[in-house]
Amino acid sequence: MAERTVIVRLNQQQIELVDRAVARGAAADRAALIRRALREQAAKSSRRGEAR
Amino acid sequence: MSARSVLFEWTMQPGTGKAIELRAGRILRIEQVEGRQCVDFNCFNLHDYKEYMHCGRTRTVHGFNPSKGSFLWSAPPRERPLLYILEDTVGRNDVLFPRCSAYLYESAYGFDAHTNCQDIQAEAQREYGLTPDDVHDSFNLFMCTEVTLDGRATITRQESRPGDFVDLLALVDVLAVPNVCGADVMRTSNFALKPIKLTVFQASEADMAAAPKTPILKSQRTPQDFRNATIKSDRALVRDHTYVAEFVNTPILVEDVVVTLSADEAAMFEAIRLPSYEADDGAALRDILFTWWEENFLGATESGAPAIGSP
Repeated sequence: MAERTVIVRLNQQQIELVDRAVARGAAADRAALIRRALREQAAKSSRRGEAR
Repeated sequence: MSARSVLFEWTMQPGTGKAIELRAGRILRIEQVEGRQCVDFNCFNLHDYKEYMHCGRTRTVHGFNPSKGSFLWSAPPRERPLLYILEDTVGRNDVLFPRCSAYLYESAYGFDAHTNCQDIQAEAQREYGLTPDDVHDSFNLFMCTEVTLDGRATITRQESRPGDFVDLLALVDVLAVPNVCGADVMRTSNFALKPIKLTVFQASEADMAAAPKTPILKSQRTPQDFRNATIKSDRALVRDHTYVAEFVNTPILVEDVVVTLSADEAAMFEAIRLPSYEADDGAALRDILFTWWEENFLGATESGAPAIGSP
């Protein structure tokens, strides 16, 4: 599968939540936080699949 | 360590209720005399009746059957614990069902006058100047309810025994109003009306220490924070022509975050995205983001109040 660009639309309240996580060091920036969330949720889903 | 001392005792006879000034640091014990009797309960801030117990908030935090260790919360925007359930020897109380009413008994049973919790509450509250419209959604002690698989709430018989009790510790000054549920032709109290004993204690140091601390937050607003703090004294609703809307955080503005997914990440995205978003990639990825955030950062304190200090 090729590289892909996704545009995530967030309102100012959602941005605030994301920015607070970034400020705490959860990721380098907003996009990186979203990619981290994706990877961790995929890993969790994969573990659930293996458990079954 | 101090012991509890008895300050007041009262027996509610069937068909009655009792409004009690319960100061912070006092305990109201609601006790079965013969057993198997439901007690409906209302509660107001003694110094501002517009703050009252909110069953919706309480059931959201503590579930459908609040018991020992649960708080009875006031309605937003005050949203603070008014009472703490210090002890509960049965553990079956209800915040699903509304109070029974005269309408119920007339429409379903043909009684045009019948004991009912709305009218009993209203009569008990009248001692403090409240009106029938001030009766709020009821906390139903000793009431056994269930939710069926098809989503309906049902009432089952109860098994409380003589001497079973619930102890409510006042965290602020309240007007506590229990009443003997008027339902004698339902399963609520096993088809009979029985007396209920009330005792008010001065809480001991150990009692006070048993109640967990809950956070005090900026969002817990009082009338001094209200744009309109004046209680309406007439009944008709008339438009305020000077009104200018001031909704919080409006206008809602949106911003686009461009996310470049690697090939591996794109494959992960396709594997876990929710089908309900169909071709809307942005909405699907946003859902993943906030689901992740919820699972990692959203918590609850032991008191059941929302966590604070979240990212």
